[in-house]
Amino acid sequence: MATAIVMPKLGNTVESSIIMRWHKAVGDPIEVGDIICEVETDKATLEVESTASGTVLALFFDEGDDVPVMVNIAAVGEPGEPIEHLRPETASPSPTKKQPGLTTTFDNATTTIPVASSADNGGRIAISPRAKNLAMRKGIALDTLSGTGPGGRIIERDVQMALEAAPKMTPLAQSMLRTGEFSPPAQGSGPRGRVMSHDLIPIDADIEAMQLSGRRRIIAQRMLESLQTTAQLTLNATADARALLNYRQRLKDSPEALALRDITINDLILFVVSRTLLDARELNATLTHETLRRHRRVHLGFAVDTPRGLIVPVIRDAHTLSLKQLANEAHRLADACLTDRITPDELNGGTFTVTNLGSFGIESFTPILNPPQVGILGVGNINPKPIEHEGDVIFAPHIGLSLTINHQVVDGAPGARFLQKLASNMANLETLLAF
Amino acid sequence: MPKTIPIDPNEVRQATVITSPDIPVNQYVSHPEQEATRYGHDNLLRMYRDMRLIREFESMLDSVKREGAYRGLTYNHRGPAHLSIGQEAAAVGQSYYLAPEDFILGSHRSHGEILAKGFSAIEKLAEDELMSIMTAYRDGAILRVVERFSNKNDVKDLATDYLLYGTLAEIFGRDAGFNRGMGGSMHTFFPPFGIMPNNAIVGGSAGIAVGMALFKRINRRPGIVIANIGDSAIGCGPVWEAMMFAAMDQFHTLWDREIGGHPPILFNFMNNFYGMGGQPQGETLGFGMLARAGLGINPEAMHAERIDGYNPLAVADAIERKRALLLEGRGPALLDVITYRLIGHSTSDASSYRDKHELDLWREQDSLANFIDYLQTHHHVQPDTIDAIDESIVNRIVKILQAAASLETSPRLDSKRDTIGEMMFSNKFKDRMAEGEPQVQLPLNETRLKTTLAKNRFGLANGTPLPKLKTLTYAEALFEAMIYRFYQDPTMIAYGEENRDWGGAFGVYRGLTEALPYHRLFNTPISEAAIVGTAVGYAIAGGRVVVELMYCDFMGRAGDEIFNQMAKWQSMSANVLEMPLVLRVSVGARYGAQHSQDWSSIVAHIPGLKVMFPATPYDAKGMLNLALHGTDPVVFFESQRLYSEPEILVEGGVPTEYYEVEMGEPIVRRAGNDITIVTIGATLYRALEAADILQRDYGVAAEVIDTRFINPLNYEKIVASVQKTGRALLASDATERGSFLHTMASNISQLTFDYLDAPVAVVGARNWITPPVEMEEDFFPQANWIIDTIHERILPLPGHQVTTTQNTSEILRRNQAGI
Repeated sequence: MATAIVMPKLGNTVESSIIMRWHKAVGDPIEVGDIICEVETDKATLEVESTASGTVLALFFDEGDDVPVMVNIAAVGEPGEPIEHLRPETASPSPTKKQPGLTTTFDNATTTIPVASSADNGGRIAISPRAKNLAMRKGIALDTLSGTGPGGRIIERDVQMALEAAPKMTPLAQSMLRTGEFSPPAQGSGPRGRVMSHDLIPIDADIEAMQLSGRRRIIAQRMLESLQTTAQLTLNATADARALLNYRQRLKDSPEALALRDITINDLILFVVSRTLLDARELNATLTHETLRRHRRVHLGFAVDTPRGLIVPVIRDAHTLSLKQLANEAHRLADACLTDRITPDELNGGTFTVTNLGSFGIESFTPILNPPQVGILGVGNINPKPIEHEGDVIFAPHIGLSLTINHQVVDGAPGARFLQKLASNMANLETLLAF
Repeated sequence: MPKTIPIDPNEVRQATVITSPDIPVNQYVSHPEQEATRYGHDNLLRMYRDMRLIREFESMLDSVKREGAYRGLTYNHRGPAHLSIGQEAAAVGQSYYLAPEDFILGSHRSHGEILAKGFSAIEKLAEDELMSIMTAYRDGAILRVVERFSNKNDVKDLATDYLLYGTLAEIFGRDAGFNRGMGGSMHTFFPPFGIMPNNAIVGGSAGIAVGMALFKRINRRPGIVIANIGDSAIGCGPVWEAMMFAAMDQFHTLWDREIGGHPPILFNFMNNFYGMGGQPQGETLGFGMLARAGLGINPEAMHAERIDGYNPLAVADAIERKRALLLEGRGPALLDVITYRLIGHSTSDASSYRDKHELDLWREQDSLANFIDYLQTHHHVQPDTIDAIDESIVNRIVKILQAAASLETSPRLDSKRDTIGEMMFSNKFKDRMAEGEPQVQLPLNETRLKTTLAKNRFGLANGTPLPKLKTLTYAEALFEAMIYRFYQDPTMIAYGEENRDWGGAFGVYRGLTEALPYHRLFNTPISEAAIVGTAVGYAIAGGRVVVELMYCDFMGRAGDEIFNQMAKWQSMSANVLEMPLVLRVSVGARYGAQHSQDWSSIVAHIPGLKVMFPATPYDAKGMLNLALHGTDPVVFFESQRLYSEPEILVEGGVPTEYYEVEMGEPIVRRAGNDITIVTIGATLYRALEAADILQRDYGVAAEVIDTRFINPLNYEKIVASVQKTGRALLASDATERGSFLHTMASNISQLTFDYLDAPVAVVGARNWITPPVEMEEDFFPQANWIIDTIHERILPLPGHQVTTTQNTSEILRRNQAGI
């Protein structure tokens, strides 16, 4: 007859403990007094000794599970002995939401709903026919559901809960989804995210469907959040680029020993932006939870295109760096991004961002803010532009500048003034370099 | 317990001895001249012809069974044929004096008796009567076949072919058989000639025959009833019960004189000295001579005699005397008719149990050969006449076999259509089974009905219970249904243990004793087999009858009568017979292991029974009204938990007027969207209690459905409910293993599979004996069992702490342990 090992009561006030690590696996021999697992209470980490000898027949919980005291956590006995009767009826409390038709919520502390992660049944998903029908009718993927029925079976209410959490769908979209020719989008375009028929993604052999990678998923989420949570306004301008080009040429022609030849137009722009921002503190700012923080230091983010998506590393205290220092830091960070050696710290804390699509021949565009920053500068390509020169019209190269501001906290005029100042600083680059 | 018959200690304690009448053994003495006068040449010759016809008919069957051919005609008969070759004199002698209205019932070995009774009826009925019988029976279906090969100009000849063909086609399982092939060799019968059901259960005819005799007596129908059973049947309890029942003193002490005394029943033991291979005389029984059994029944020793069944004239003489005595109401009678089968029990019989010498001795005294000698010795016939008779008989049998064996002339019934299914019930409604004025002792409005009608018809007033004594109860609702039909149907009778005076052990019949004469309501011995068996006979004879089993647990005592007789005769007769029999079965509680069982599942398993189980007074009356209006056998379960309960569920209460509940329709007792709870019987109230708790504590709205019926049962309402809720739990007081609930669960699963959110759960009583009343809560399903089962198997309830073990591993454990 198999024997149960229970979660001991490790102190008068202890009601449950978290299993940190199993020391034994199913099939291991075990003696009375052997450590079977390590558990953590709110006060300490302790070891649980086996109270039976034999073979470990079952471990009823996973590491990380919060188990009420005096509940069976394992079964020990001879191989082949039945253990199902020892399996506790209650596992860790369920983190479920309010259930329609039930007045009691699962948030109540006393809940005893057993939850297995979508009832793993040897690879099969345990789901009632009714729940399955509902999930199929509503286009819910079964592997996204977790079951609260007996033995972790997915039952109707689990699908209903998933439905409540999921974006609503129009009846037309639902019926199209049932044809099996479409898959649902993560987010709908209708009111409150309702999925409309045109949001559905056709399932077609000519289309390669792929799950978003972790990073892409984060980018997707950030971009969406950015657009959903801020009021973005883009201002477009051009700046006389003759000074930039001239200076760049001079750097290229400089003696190699100076190590200035690799400095790019973009580095020059980052330099100009870092200096211009010092006088435009409305834009060197971050907005979090209705608190606007204007920064005295410039931590300048710049977008790097990598195969895994866009990454924005941050140049710390960019305003304090010389052109050469700034260029070197920019190149180091870009390399780190491309070789995947970038650290989370190097990606955080920016106060303003520059993104450059000039090399792709883009003249102007609408950069998307990188919240909580309130400004981002998009840099376009350089094109000749007719200008008046000593009573004559000549063509001078100009660079496109697109500034997106968060109109919630930055008005149009300060934005425009910043852009104007930036253009002027670019045109008078050498003056700026003197500071 | 009639107060008119005192038990006086001074009398019963007196010293005395019991004297008993002599039992005559083979006392018939042949007086050829007197016999010549008594019977006449023609009848004596006819006796020979009948014996010879039977012998040839069975020899043909024997040949077909053994060799697959008779006189060049080949046929493979796969069914049974228990032959009575050697016993013809006993059969023909018996029927000689019987009128067409006299009934015989038989055994598995009754071909000879059937044919003899038929020949006798054909002889006695006028030609126009015969024609109208043959034309009317099954709308002339058999006659139409027979007319194709028979002599239409001679009605008696035609009728003889009709009898032989109807019997043989039945034996061969053909649509044109007397019972469309549904009875077969062991059950062939033909009521218009007084040939009543033959029973393949040894002794099975005894109780039924008594019931038919009871019907004749109570409804003043002419004739007697004979139960032809074998010598071994004397070892069967139900046969003794039937004899005891027939001998009850009350027929002459308490019943109205004008009823005429005892039921006219003759227990005719066809004593061929073997019960299959066992030998009652000298081996398996101890009576010495079977006729002695009469001494155990009544002071008259049942007028028992042993008769030489190898002499048809001795048998005819005995029957004439017993018939007269029975018609005078002086029965029951017993005959021990010795005879001998010159052939095996069946074709598989190697006769390993008897010596060939014994067989030779009996062959030397073969009744046919002896009777030819007798006829020739006393100049009743010439040898060439015998030869001519024999030849015409062989020709006739060839003709009959040809017709019956041909699948073209005699097809089987079309069982592709649900023809047999349609035969299982007669599904008719009859206000009365026969015309006439019901015999009563009080006008209806002076009976106890006056009291019950004046009571509160609903048990609650503004939600509070009314005093029970002033409110109509479940038991009184049943009473109202009973008395209604008693005053409508003159044939209706009711009986059982303690039915009169006491009014039934639970008082349902209180007030009927004053309203009804003895012969419509009476007490029986504690003989459940006889109670149900005689009721079967009463019903198939054409009367409505209600009998009662005081506790469901006693059903085992009437097992054969319920399972093989009550359930089967409508369909085995191809609906020639109806079975307006209601068996009231009281389901006990509080009385321990042998008085508290709900066996509704057992009868649900038996095809041919309608099964009802009302749970409220409204249904008790409406459903008993329905049962008493129909022509089908109904096992009507009642709950002893409910007899004293008023109606609290049906708004408006129990109507005072007549009404019927619709057959097979369950009823929704409480509406809800989250789970369907289906109950049978008194468990309804536990389920309603559970539904209250589910709503109050967990916000789960249960829909509670009371099936009311077990068979037939319309699942539509249940299916609609489960489709809505996606969850179903079934509960009743029957022990869980093999419970009818599992049949329902299976059907519901199949009908609603795509809608189910969990498997259908069954909550029955534990597979134990019923413990003492103080522990019944551990045995019968309770509200918390229902809730725990929902939590464990269907819908985990937030915050619920179970108090009983209802998880699926417990199902495994209980089954592994066999409990």
